[in-house]
Amino acid sequence: MAMLYVHVPFCPTICPFCSFHVLRPRDDLVGAYLDELGRELGEVAERSAGAAIETVYLGGGTPSQLTDAELGRLLDDVRRALPVAPDAEVTLEVHPGHVDRSRARTWEALGITRVSVGVQSTSDDALRRLGRSHDARTALDALDDVRGTGVTLNADVISCVEGQDLAADLAAVVARGIDHCSVYTLTIEPDTPFARRGVRVDEEVERRAILTAAEVLGAAGFERYEVSNHARPGHRCRHNSGYWAGESWFGVGPSATGHEPGHVRRTNPGFEAWLDGGRGAPTVVADPEVERLFTGLRRIEGVELPDGRWDAEVDRLVADGLLERRGRTIRATAAGVLVLDSVAATFL
Amino acid sequence: MDLSRIRNIAIIAHIDHGKSTLADRMLELCGAVDPRDMRAQYLDSMDLERERGITIKLQSVRLDYRDHVVNLIDTPGHVDFGYEVSRSLAATEGVILLVDAAQGIQAQTLANCYLAIENDLEIVAALNKIDLPAADPERCCEEIERILGIPADQVLRISAKTGEGVPELLDAVIERIPAPKGDPDAPLQALIFDSHYDQFRGVVSSLRVMNGTLRTDAKLRFMQAAAVHPAEEVGCRLPTPTPFRSLGPGEVGYLIAGIKDVGEARSGETVTEASNPATEPLQGYQEPKPMVFCGLYPIDGDEYPRLRESLDKLRLNDSSFTFAPETSGALGFGFRCGFLGLLHMEIVRERLEREFDLSIIATAPSVAYRVTVRGGREVTVDNPSELPPMGEIEQIAEPYLQTTILAPSDYTGAILDLCQSKRGEMIKLEYLSPERIELGYKLPLAEVVIDFFDQLKSRTQGYASLDYEPAGYQPGNLVKVDILLAGDPVDAFSSVVHRDRSEEYGRAMTEKLRELIPRQQFDVPIQAALGGRVIARSTVKAYRKDVTAKLYGGDISRKKKLLEKQKQGKKRMKAIGRVEVPQEAFISALRLD
Repeated sequence: MAMLYVHVPFCPTICPFCSFHVLRPRDDLVGAYLDELGRELGEVAERSAGAAIETVYLGGGTPSQLTDAELGRLLDDVRRALPVAPDAEVTLEVHPGHVDRSRARTWEALGITRVSVGVQSTSDDALRRLGRSHDARTALDALDDVRGTGVTLNADVISCVEGQDLAADLAAVVARGIDHCSVYTLTIEPDTPFARRGVRVDEEVERRAILTAAEVLGAAGFERYEVSNHARPGHRCRHNSGYWAGESWFGVGPSATGHEPGHVRRTNPGFEAWLDGGRGAPTVVADPEVERLFTGLRRIEGVELPDGRWDAEVDRLVADGLLERRGRTIRATAAGVLVLDSVAATFL
Repeated sequence: MDLSRIRNIAIIAHIDHGKSTLADRMLELCGAVDPRDMRAQYLDSMDLERERGITIKLQSVRLDYRDHVVNLIDTPGHVDFGYEVSRSLAATEGVILLVDAAQGIQAQTLANCYLAIENDLEIVAALNKIDLPAADPERCCEEIERILGIPADQVLRISAKTGEGVPELLDAVIERIPAPKGDPDAPLQALIFDSHYDQFRGVVSSLRVMNGTLRTDAKLRFMQAAAVHPAEEVGCRLPTPTPFRSLGPGEVGYLIAGIKDVGEARSGETVTEASNPATEPLQGYQEPKPMVFCGLYPIDGDEYPRLRESLDKLRLNDSSFTFAPETSGALGFGFRCGFLGLLHMEIVRERLEREFDLSIIATAPSVAYRVTVRGGREVTVDNPSELPPMGEIEQIAEPYLQTTILAPSDYTGAILDLCQSKRGEMIKLEYLSPERIELGYKLPLAEVVIDFFDQLKSRTQGYASLDYEPAGYQPGNLVKVDILLAGDPVDAFSSVVHRDRSEEYGRAMTEKLRELIPRQQFDVPIQAALGGRVIARSTVKAYRKDVTAKLYGGDISRKKKLLEKQKQGKKRMKAIGRVEVPQEAFISALRLD
């Protein structure tokens, strides 16, 4: 099995907390982007040796910034180049302001099976602080519009925003009938406007937010299956789960990363170089077991420990109450999840 | 060589008063260095010396000036190396006393000048930096006349930077400093005043011939080391080392004799000819005595053999530090090392890291205590963790220093406060002028090695200067304070302090460690204990939250790299039990301010 990630680099506005490589859209750029993407899909087809594509993820950027016709062309190109499985999960990340009922139906018709709406918060105050261009009303309406179709519906929520009532935000999105909820603590990345302004997030606030998310969503029938991800039964994101399980994926688009069969990693060089045909150089991941453990520990159900490695480290972390072990399966405890980076670093 | 045409001199000056710059000008003036090859601080050959602006190893250079040979012997600019200063002065007939015209006489000026007077050396005084706007030559001349008895009208005024007055200074050297005396036909007596190790030639010694003639190929007897070596090469630094067939009385040069260990050709050694030996060695030989001790441990235990090798190699070049294996419960296998002073300790540590690419932990500096245990037996303890149990101790005596502090009188109060707080005993308080004061204090060495000099500088805005010499041992009411991390005592943090200060010390230490030890996955209690009694405590709180919010495809390698980098940083830390302790905690924890 293999997965495909498509990087769509366009955004309506640049958010002050975002550290990704994004562009304001221009017609001439979009055409050139789609042309180059078509070429890159051809290259992937040669490397993938006919492996079936089980999941496709259109991320960004803001993929819904593309028109539906452009999205249609993009997905056609994907299907022409690669054998996408008939029951593949196809996710589209969308901005609330881009959603209406008719677009939602079109997306479903284009073969999108999962829509992820960047709600972030249902408080206008919090949204303003986040520098988002939409308001709460728009966000909630967007959820309603997508729910009317048959696709799986995710809401992205950001926590730890000053003045935000996280429990209220979560209750509001749950009430709109979502199937999946990703809750991210606000992270101040270096070289972003937030970092330059000296915005800080208190550790204790983050800790409480993580606990609150699990509590509120758990009570509403969601199962937490990863640090920041919660789903109703049967609605986990297969694509993202693949990352944490150490599956292979191909990445296309200007700044996409791929982790291809044989543990070959490629990261594209950014928009301009990519448009000129530049591609990431392949490097072989030195110790894939380390990476599998590093990402696998994010899954609440845990990860298999390879034979004969790290037993001493695991014993110590179990003694500290940060890991649980059953046979060769290890998983983070509730306390362990909260400090998972330092737990995972043990295995680096 | 006609003795009347030789002048042997050293420049004595307080640190930063321009000694190396003056040497540079003299080299240029005498045409010793091609202008294209000139660089600042020409005689300071180690990178460390140039960076720190101090001379560590001695160099001598032979200059031609007005039909005379002037041998200029460089002296180290730091009080740690005071013994070497005295050796190099013994090789001269006179000194240039260099005083910064803006700063006036400083503690080391005074100490070195007294040394020159004791050795009956002629002193040519010069005020340097007269081109500076802050220069006050009138005041400084007056000070020199009053304090040192050198008539103001004999004090030259120069700028080593611009070269102004340097020819006149050299003229004065020729005119005022006496020529050396010596009997060319007497048995050979040559004084070694410095040795360093050259990886190609072995030990290269700087020496001054007192009597007789030093010839290439002669069989030489090193009188104190009781060893015989053939003279492979004899020569002079012009400043490029140049072989000479022989050196006669009064001459200064270098000797290579196939020696592999500088310990066999130490400063103060007398060299004579094996076939016709002198009956007596020259006076003044002393074994260098370490004053300050610390443990040196490799961060990575596997580096222990390499640390030993590196210490061996370094000692070839610097016989004044000592080392012996020791074991620490917290740090594993390492070495107890002894140094002439704190600067010397820092230099050795830095050279180990730089020249031998080692990551090492230096434990807090300690002094050597003389401990009398029940029954009257006396033991010397230079590692606080090895102190016998308090119940068995009758008395602990600690080494003292006699210090001299010179400062503007405005700072008298601040200096008295500092010395009181360091358990000092005042011996002398004298106004050198209405604006300047000289203070004499007897201070426990242990108090001085921690942060005394830093404190003195900061409390006097850098204006105070310090010189010191050992002043024997005195008993004190001393106790050992242990530090416990997560309940376990860490021997490397044990310290001997005065009982009255123990609680204050314990509080400061636990608080400082709380700041220095990074947060871990669990709470880390830090306690200070006297005997079994906890006298202070603090806690490094565990992480409340340490998990990345988003980790998808492209984030994985980025995040992994970031965590790997953090982990690299941790390699600079030492795991003590379960607690990761950064290197600097071992030494900077003691700099309590």
